[in-house]
This record gives sequence, structure tokens and C-alpha cells, in this order.
Amino acid sequence: MKLEDAAYRLKEFWGEFRKERNGLVGLGILIAAVLAVLLEPLILPFPEASSRWRDITYWQDNSKSAPPAWTNLFTARKSAVALTLWDSRTEDRGPGEKAYIFSYDYEFSRAPYDLLLRGEGSGTIPLTVTVRRPDSNAVEIIRYVLQDLAGQTFRLSFTNEGKANALEFLRKTERPENAAQIATMSYGVPEILFSRAEPDFVKGPKPLAGRYEIEVTAGFTDPRASIEHMEIVVVGRVSGILGTDSMKRDIFSGVVAGMKWALMIGLLTSIVSVLVGVFYGITAAYFGGRVDSVMMLIFDYFISLPVLPILIVFSAVYKPSIWTIIAALILFFWVGPVKTVRSMALQIKEETYIEAAKALGAGHGRIIFRHMAPLLIPYSFASMALAVPGAIVYESSVSLLGLGDATIVSWGQILHDALGSGAVLSGLWWWVVPPGLLIAVMGMTFAFLGFAMDKILHPKLKTR
Amino acid sequence: MYKWYAIKRILKGVAMYALLMFTFSALFNTVSETTLKGQIEEQVRQESQRLRNLKSEQIRAFQIDRRDQLYKLYKLDRPWTERVVSRAVNALTFKFGRSTIIKTQKGEREVIKIIMEAMPRSILLFTTTIVFEIFLGIWLGLKKAQKPGGSLDKSTSFITMVVYGLPSWWLGMMLIMIFVYGIKLFPSGGLHSVPTPGGILKVLDLIWHMILPMLTLLLIGFWSLGFVVRNIVLGVLQEDYIMSARARGIPENKVLFGHTMRTAAPPLITMALLTLLASISGSIIFEGIFSWPGLGNLYWIAIQQNDIPVLLADLAITTGIYQAGLIFLDLTYGFLDPRIKIGGKA
Repeated sequence: MKLEDAAYRLKEFWGEFRKERNGLVGLGILIAAVLAVLLEPLILPFPEASSRWRDITYWQDNSKSAPPAWTNLFTARKSAVALTLWDSRTEDRGPGEKAYIFSYDYEFSRAPYDLLLRGEGSGTIPLTVTVRRPDSNAVEIIRYVLQDLAGQTFRLSFTNEGKANALEFLRKTERPENAAQIATMSYGVPEILFSRAEPDFVKGPKPLAGRYEIEVTAGFTDPRASIEHMEIVVVGRVSGILGTDSMKRDIFSGVVAGMKWALMIGLLTSIVSVLVGVFYGITAAYFGGRVDSVMMLIFDYFISLPVLPILIVFSAVYKPSIWTIIAALILFFWVGPVKTVRSMALQIKEETYIEAAKALGAGHGRIIFRHMAPLLIPYSFASMALAVPGAIVYESSVSLLGLGDATIVSWGQILHDALGSGAVLSGLWWWVVPPGLLIAVMGMTFAFLGFAMDKILHPKLKTR
Repeated sequence: MYKWYAIKRILKGVAMYALLMFTFSALFNTVSETTLKGQIEEQVRQESQRLRNLKSEQIRAFQIDRRDQLYKLYKLDRPWTERVVSRAVNALTFKFGRSTIIKTQKGEREVIKIIMEAMPRSILLFTTTIVFEIFLGIWLGLKKAQKPGGSLDKSTSFITMVVYGLPSWWLGMMLIMIFVYGIKLFPSGGLHSVPTPGGILKVLDLIWHMILPMLTLLLIGFWSLGFVVRNIVLGVLQEDYIMSARARGIPENKVLFGHTMRTAAPPLITMALLTLLASISGSIIFEGIFSWPGLGNLYWIAIQQNDIPVLLADLAITTGIYQAGLIFLDLTYGFLDPRIKIGGKA
């Protein structure tokens, strides 16, 4: 088949395909998914999510099991959103002293879990953190000396370092008769900082909205002393587009990082296995006789394998990498198109132009590849699209059991962690819904594409 | 003759099953032998602990002796091919040995008993679902085929595509979240409540536990079954004899169930059973989600506990059931399609 022929047939196909609304929807989602994979570095809020998914230190400053930020739209009491403040204003405060001032607009009812001061420092530096509140109170919350750093990251938690100072601040306004309750109350440093300073705090704090200024004063008397990348992390009660899991990982990042693997597994498995199946079917039909019998016997063997049980036991025993899993999937999937292709090839084989080609002395390879395959390959596109969801679901199933490749992030693995942490029964829906929904949407996309192509290529299925 | 056809098909199925057992035996030879050796070590240690009044050299001699004996018993001293063959033969005769950790409710460690305890529960869940699914699927398919392109046909075909890649286990997780966590309507899983009520209440309790898993399977399965039925029936409805039957004034229902169904039955049953076989193979994950203590859930437990004998035996039995399903499928097809019975070409 010449290139022009192919272009013409493609144009003809597109003319038909355009009329299939579902097919177009499928194509649209597929293009969006491919774009998401290509633009992954730009989309990911946590750029290293893909490579450091199982690295706890990478995620340690996130909130734990926090719902998505947009859930605030549906609740009366807004929760503080997870956020990193990296913009700071610097002011010189006398010899060898510098102040970094972060401003934070607090408009919520439920205070964040914690605040963290983070940065990279060298030398010995005394630090003071003061919070200036909208009600013009200033709370000196942390006094800390960074000892002999050599460029490492330091992390200071307001809850851990500032508890005493925060309670001191609270005692100034609280009624004396409530003093005993202060020690036992369930409100922590963030609640004290972001609530009105008034009596009866212990009975239920009232939020104080407005602009807060967090001033970090550092002393640079040590000649080696320097601080870089200083930022304040607000460990919010709600976080990001899809929330976080109980290991503090950002689910949106995980789900986006899993997209490329889902597409890879699905497309690689389906394309390779359908091509193998098509050529297998053609070969069996073309040679016929004993070759056909033997090839069909092998086919019968593969078709009687129950895929998932074997795949699961295989994964449990050999702990395969993702590439081995894909190879195993291909081993099961190639049987899909064989029967149909064989029966179609049996008809094509009898056509006169094949006979003519034989009479002209064409070899077996030439007849199969140049005269039979080009007619049958287009039919296999529908099978390819329809095989994709199966491959994705099988990989997810294996991963759901915790048998997947531990060096990658896949949707099944996210669901495995969710199931293992009891997310289903404790209602952490933002952890369970997105990965599964994406598996379903991917399946739907390729079903749309496959059914649309099937309808065009097998006109018999059209409505009468 | 149908009899010969049936015998041939069954023999072929059995041969295929044997071949599969050999494959598994070869594929998982190393891991099952490691487990077996571990079990032998355990047994030898236990036995030597019972020998109190012996010197340490004697005990050591006894251990080596006993180990050799057991190795000989389990043919571990034989060449590789022979070991693989003997293990495959064991699997074919359902001698799966003892589990490493998992026990039956009565505390037995024979793998076959563990399997036999789990199997009826799987069969109960799936046959019930299958019956519902076939009825609903055929009904939906016929309705769709009667008015192809109509609103019912279009909407249900759309749903078929939407649920095409939807994993049943994920739907199960969602339903559990809605109906167990949200509205506390159904139990989260298992076979019975604890403590189990007696008498008629026990049956009701079982049904109550079955509703959610069944609902999940039905919600996924019956659309696609309906779609398949529609396509097959639609092909038949275009035949001339259907038109002539309609022209003769035969009521539409009779045309549908009498004339169309008879012709459409063989491919219909094949497709229906194939879909269901696929769903059974996918049920491994599914049962685990609902902690339905069947064969699928056994995979989960065996993997968690790393109980290799149970895992491999479960695989052998599942493959056997799958194989039996395929044989049953061909036999039904042959029974319904006379061309196959007499050895003509289908």
C-alpha cells in the first residue's frame, strides 16, 4: 500500500469518524490525557512526585489525610488551605540582625494543623519568630538557635517549639477560673494564633480573620552564618486539588504521575498484542492444513488460560517489574483478534488477486505482508482500542493486591494504599474516588474510540 | 453424533487442563520446592524435639536421616523433570499437601479442605448473580433490538461504553463507601453477622450480606450482556423469515421469543457464558473487597500470609473451574446448534 493510499483511506475514515459523537469525545479525552502526560512537569504541584512517591521525607511537611481544598465551597466553616509562603520582605534590624517578614491572609474558621519554618542555613544563627496579628497583638512564638549548620535544611514546627509561648499569650486574656483547663484543652498553637484573644477561649475559640505578619529575625554574628530559601509552610486542614492521603502524599500529583503508566501499559500491551494476533491469524489462514491445526492448538492453549489468577500468582511469586507485567499481559492478550482475523483471512486468501500474486511468483512473506495484512490491519484498530481498558484494569488489579512494580506510581497502587489504610471505611473518598474514576474514564475513552471505529469498519452493526 | 462430539470436547478439555498443570508446575517449581523444604525442616525440628534422651550427635544423625527420608518421600532427590511431572500429577489428583499458615474453620491444614471450604461460597455468590444477570441481560438486549437507535437503545449503549473499563472492585469500594459508611444500610463484608443468628434469620442474614456484592456485579455486567444480545438478535431480526413471520401477523412477542431466540440462542449463550467466565476470573479482586470468604478472597489471604501451597492450589482449582466452564460452553453450543452435532461446519 502506497503512502497516498493510506492518506486517502485515513481521510475517508476521518470523514466517517467525525460523525460519531462518542468517538470524538473519546478522542478529545485521549488527547487531553496525552497532553497531561507531556506537560506533567508543569502540572505537578510536587515535581518529584513520580520518582519520590515512597520517600516519606519528601512529603513530611504536608497535611495528613486532608480533603481537597475546594471542599471549603460546601462547608459553612471554612478550613485553612495548605500553602507555602515563600515571599518575604527583608528589613535590617541593627548590626548583624535581619528580619524576614511573611504576610499571610487568614480568612478561615478552622485553623491549620501547624505552621512550619523551613530553610537552608549555615553556621550558628539565633532565630526569633514573632506573629503580628490583625488585632495588633504581637506574639513572640519561637526562640531558637540553629547550631553549626552546614547548608542543611532546618524545620521548626510552631506547635513543637512555640507551645509554651502561645499558652503564655493565652493566659493573659483568659479568665483565671479557666486557667486549669488551658493545660488540658484540645486547641493547639495554630488555634491560639488565629483566634480572637478574649476570655472563654477554652470553651471554643472564635477565628480572627485578617492579615497576619510573621516576622523571623535572625542574627548573623557568626561569620559563616547565612540563610537561604526560607519559607513558611501552612499545614492546612484542606490541601490541593485532590487532598492528601494518610502518608501525607498529594493525591493529585500521584494520580497525574500514574497517568503515563496507565497509558503506557494500555497502549503498549494492546498495540503489540493485536499486531501479533493479526499476523498469527493471517499466517494460520494463509498456510492452512497442518500449520493451521498446530497454530490453532497453540491458540486453544492460550485461550484457556484464566488471565488474572495466573497473573496474580506469577506476580506474587516473581515480584516482576512493570515491563515484565506488560510482557505477561501481551502473552495473554494476543489471542483476542486471532479468530476473527483468521476467518476474514480465509476469505481473502481465495481472492483472485492473491492467486495472481502467487502465479507471478510472489513469496509467502510478500503475500502476507503486502497483500493480506494491509486489508486486515485497519480492522484491528478497533480491537486495539478495546484491548486497552482490559490491560489497564489487569495491571491495576495486580497493583491493588500490592504486587505491582514498587518503582513506579500507578493508580492501582494508590488504591492499594487506600484500601490498606482503611480509607474506604473511614470515608476518605478523595483518596479512593480519583484513581478508580480515572481507570474508569480511561476505559470509557477507549471504549468510545473502539466502538466508534468498530461501527465504521463493520457497517453491519449499524442500526437497520 | 452429539455423544462423540461431547466426548471429544471433554477429552480435549481434560488434556488442556493437564497441560496447564504441567506449565504451572514448571513455572512455579522453585518457589513450591522452597516452601516444601521449609515445611520439611519444620517437621524434622519438631520430631527431634520429642527425642529427649539422646545425645546431640545422635539427634543430628537422626535429623539428617529423617530429612533424607522426607526428601525421598516428596521426590526432592529426583531430577528436575521428574519433580515437575510428579508435582503436576499431584495437582491433577488434587493432592496439594499442607498449607503453611492458613487453616479451615475447624483448624485443618490440608489445602484441599481449605479450598473446598471456600468454593461453595464463591459458587453461591456467582451462580445467583449469573442467573439474575442472564435474565436481565437478555431482557435488556431484546428491548434494545426491538427499537435499535431508539432512546432506550442509545442510552443503554452509552452506559455500556461508560462502564466498559470500570473495575468491578472499584465500584464495590464506592458502593461500600456509600451504603456502609454513608447510609448504614448493608454490612461491610463477610458471609454472616457475628454472632450469626439461627434458623430462617440465618438465611436472611446471608442474603443481606449478598446484596451489595451482587448489586456491584449486576451494575457492571448486565449492560454489556444486553449490548451483546442486542447485536446478535439484531442480526437475526434482519433475516427474511422474521419479516415473513411478521407479515403473517404473528404477534411481536412470539416473533421475538419463538422465532428469533431459537436462531440466536447458540451465539447468545456462548457470548453470555464467555462474559460471565471473564467476570468470574475477575472476581479474585472483587471478593477481597467484600471479604466474601470464597476462592477469590483466598488469593488475598494466601498472598498476605505468603502461603504458597494454598496459592498454587487455588490457582489450579480456579483454572479447573474456568476449563470446565469452557467445556460446558462448547457442549451447550453444540447442543443448540445442530450443525455442530452432525460434524458440519458452523
